[in-house]
Amino acid sequence: MRNVRYRFHPGEYELGENEKFYSDMEAKGWRLVKRGNRLSRFVPVEPSAARYRIEAFCSGFMEEPGLSEGQLAVFEDCGWEHVDSRGFLHIFRAPEGSGAPEFYADPRQQAATVKTVQRNFWWSLALSIGVAALAAVSVLGLSRPQWQWEAVKRFVQLPGLFISYGLWLLGLLCQLVYSTWKINRIYFDLKKGRPLDHNPRENRLRRFADRALTCLAFLFLLSAGVQLLFTNSRDLPAEPDGPYIVLDDLGIEGERTDAMFSDRESSVTHTRSPLAGYWETFEVVEQPGGDQAWLYQYVYRLRVPALRDTLVRALMEGSTFARGEGSFRPVEIEGLDAAWVVPGGLEAVAVKGELVLYAEHLDMSPGEPELEALLAAWGKAGEGVLP
Amino acid sequence: MAEQGPMTEAMYYILLALLKPGHGYGMMQRIKELSGGRLVMGPGTLYGVLSRMSREGLIVLTSEEGRRKNYAITGAGRDALLAEYARLKRLVADGKLMEVEK
Repeated sequence: MRNVRYRFHPGEYELGENEKFYSDMEAKGWRLVKRGNRLSRFVPVEPSAARYRIEAFCSGFMEEPGLSEGQLAVFEDCGWEHVDSRGFLHIFRAPEGSGAPEFYADPRQQAATVKTVQRNFWWSLALSIGVAALAAVSVLGLSRPQWQWEAVKRFVQLPGLFISYGLWLLGLLCQLVYSTWKINRIYFDLKKGRPLDHNPRENRLRRFADRALTCLAFLFLLSAGVQLLFTNSRDLPAEPDGPYIVLDDLGIEGERTDAMFSDRESSVTHTRSPLAGYWETFEVVEQPGGDQAWLYQYVYRLRVPALRDTLVRALMEGSTFARGEGSFRPVEIEGLDAAWVVPGGLEAVAVKGELVLYAEHLDMSPGEPELEALLAAWGKAGEGVLP
Repeated sequence: MAEQGPMTEAMYYILLALLKPGHGYGMMQRIKELSGGRLVMGPGTLYGVLSRMSREGLIVLTSEEGRRKNYAITGAGRDALLAEYARLKRLVADGKLMEVEK
């Protein structure tokens, strides 16, 4: 027989629900020994009827929420065994029929105790909204203006991580709002003289929504993990094995070498997200004269064509050297549906069917004709042997 | 000390119980006895009211025996209790009208 069991418990703001949950577990032969953040730990006992009661107590905002020794002594003298405390929840147990008195004969007196907890929830909500607003202002005001376009690129590359993070944030927000509402309702009910329900009906809809959100966030995180696991990064082959080109296709010959200012070597990274296949290449060669030629490429094979225009704009706005979409000029290139270059710059963007290319090319004499030649070479290129 | 309005039943009985100094559990037993078993005070109520009255200077912590804390009524507490007793007596006296009307 297992000597310990863990179960997810109701949220800390569900006072009656927690009491019922622990009583039900004891009736099934599992006694609470420890309440954790999301899980409670139980040990096996003879199934028995027991009352669990929770004292929701804290001294004040950001203050130590513990009960004093004197308080504990009174509860225990009355026949209540202190099982565990977690945050402002202090959990007590007494066998059914032991005669241990209820903590409060008058709900209004319990309201006075819960009031500090209720205030803490409001402070936490206000603080969280304040921090979120501050973070949003910092991100919007201080970061690179292209941050949102960078986010679009990363979202197409690894959507699982973004969606998981978004769901996690949504879950946190919902929980924060719901918990504040719930504790507020408990407080006002008590204040009006309505006693706390120690045996409430389970709120199945809320529980389902909570679990569904957690499961979804986990599944998307898992999908991101699987995607990263199968992401392939290797030396750039001499012949392209994907929908990209190499410097040799542009007639630039030379020996592959390390980048001038880093140890980065010529490489290709390939990953498949639910939204797009993605190739990122970096190539640097030392030409016969001793100068280096560079070529970066991001190639997306979109599974969702509707993303094309947004991605093209994100690539332009997020380009390294150009000043956004306005720096790009459209050009006509055979074999391409659409193409743009930065006059006098290093960047080019092109669309061919479901493929979208962003390239940065640095050579001895960078310029528009070189970029157009690059796009023409990509337009003619096959799609290689996909890994 | 804060201005005393009408006392709650819990405050009144705790002050009454503390005319004889005691600890929390002892107070609860005494309150039950004083009220003829009518009032069973829970530990939550007791500690909430003790904290409030201690802040207001109506009672004072006198000693600690292990985990148990002993409290006693202060002069201000005694005055407040007497004032409440007088108020309640007046209320009862005024209510005697109902007995005459019978």
